[in-house]
Amino acid sequence: MKSLFAHSSNIVAQLALAVLFVSPAVAHDPVFALGPHVLFKGGVEIAPQVITANDEDDRDTETSVELTYGLTGDWAAGMELPYVDKSGINDNSGFGDIKLFTKYRFWRRDSLGVQQSAAVLAKVKFDTNAGGLPPLGSGSTDGIFGLAYGYESRKWYRWVSARYRINGENSMGLQSGNKLFIDLVGGIRLNPTAYDEPDTVWMLELNGEYTERSGLQGVSVSNSGGTEWFISPGIFWTLRNFAVKAGVQIPLASDLNGNQPDTDYRARLVLEWHL
Amino acid sequence: MKKLIVYTVWVLLAATVSMTAWAERTHYEMRVDGLACPYCAYGIEKKLSAIDGVQNLDVDLENGLVSVDVTDGVVLKETDMRQLFNDAGFTYRSMTTRPADHDGEHAQ
Repeated sequence: MKSLFAHSSNIVAQLALAVLFVSPAVAHDPVFALGPHVLFKGGVEIAPQVITANDEDDRDTETSVELTYGLTGDWAAGMELPYVDKSGINDNSGFGDIKLFTKYRFWRRDSLGVQQSAAVLAKVKFDTNAGGLPPLGSGSTDGIFGLAYGYESRKWYRWVSARYRINGENSMGLQSGNKLFIDLVGGIRLNPTAYDEPDTVWMLELNGEYTERSGLQGVSVSNSGGTEWFISPGIFWTLRNFAVKAGVQIPLASDLNGNQPDTDYRARLVLEWHL
Repeated sequence: MKKLIVYTVWVLLAATVSMTAWAERTHYEMRVDGLACPYCAYGIEKKLSAIDGVQNLDVDLENGLVSVDVTDGVVLKETDMRQLFNDAGFTYRSMTTRPADHDGEHAQ
């Protein structure tokens, strides 16, 4: 029984690291936090991206393509098709868990050079990964729900968002702890440019994550759950209908239960085309 | 005779080009709110460019202005523009119109 729990703790750590479940890449939103942007009606966004997460023992890299469609000027839906590469104590790579998402902007207030808006997000991750060990996914169907507010002007940006992730149970009876994300973001456009010129916005995020304890066959796993805070500088560079978004999450503080590896850093690079 | 024919063809061609250039075009200037970032405004370009006869699109982010020239016979209605900008994710406020210059520059 002791060895089963020791093994399960390692699995939980790997699962938690593997399933980064980041926010959709949509438009002019923060790198890691959720923003309220959607896509213009009839628009298509193609966003290849790379996300890497590192702790003391392992490195997980997920490459994915995100496709988003603007259903209306305030409602978008899309899917994410990932490929996961895990290296460290053990190695594994292959297709990851497909995700479907929809975002609805339910409030918008526009004035000269300023847009304020708020949106809700719903995202579902399905158990479609290629399998093997270490696992390329959570082995379960998980959901995430989010709420975001954003203020954009020609110079200043600010966002605040919250997301809650609900995890299903996998075939071994393991249920990763549900997770709450809280994000505060500030951004600045130092040099406002014209419509057809390159545009750069610098961002700084404060990302908080509270994870509940995981459960294995109904029993709480001691080496799971806890709180982590990250400070995350990022950049958003655009030219007409093309964007590059990049950032790094640097650990600020952590209070993890039991014996778990701290997160070293996470990084994300996104390319976006609007068609 | 051959020279006369060639000369006539050239004159007719020149006249056709001139008449096309001198066909009356209208310049629309629209006040739009919410224009904070250029990347987000691409939807405006996409939707306006899809309208037949729309030319010379310009987006002035600082002043919240979107302007286009349209060829003779094309009319941009306020109700249509209100819907267009809403579909692009912004808020239409008002528009003004005036004849466009022959070379496409805004009439003074």
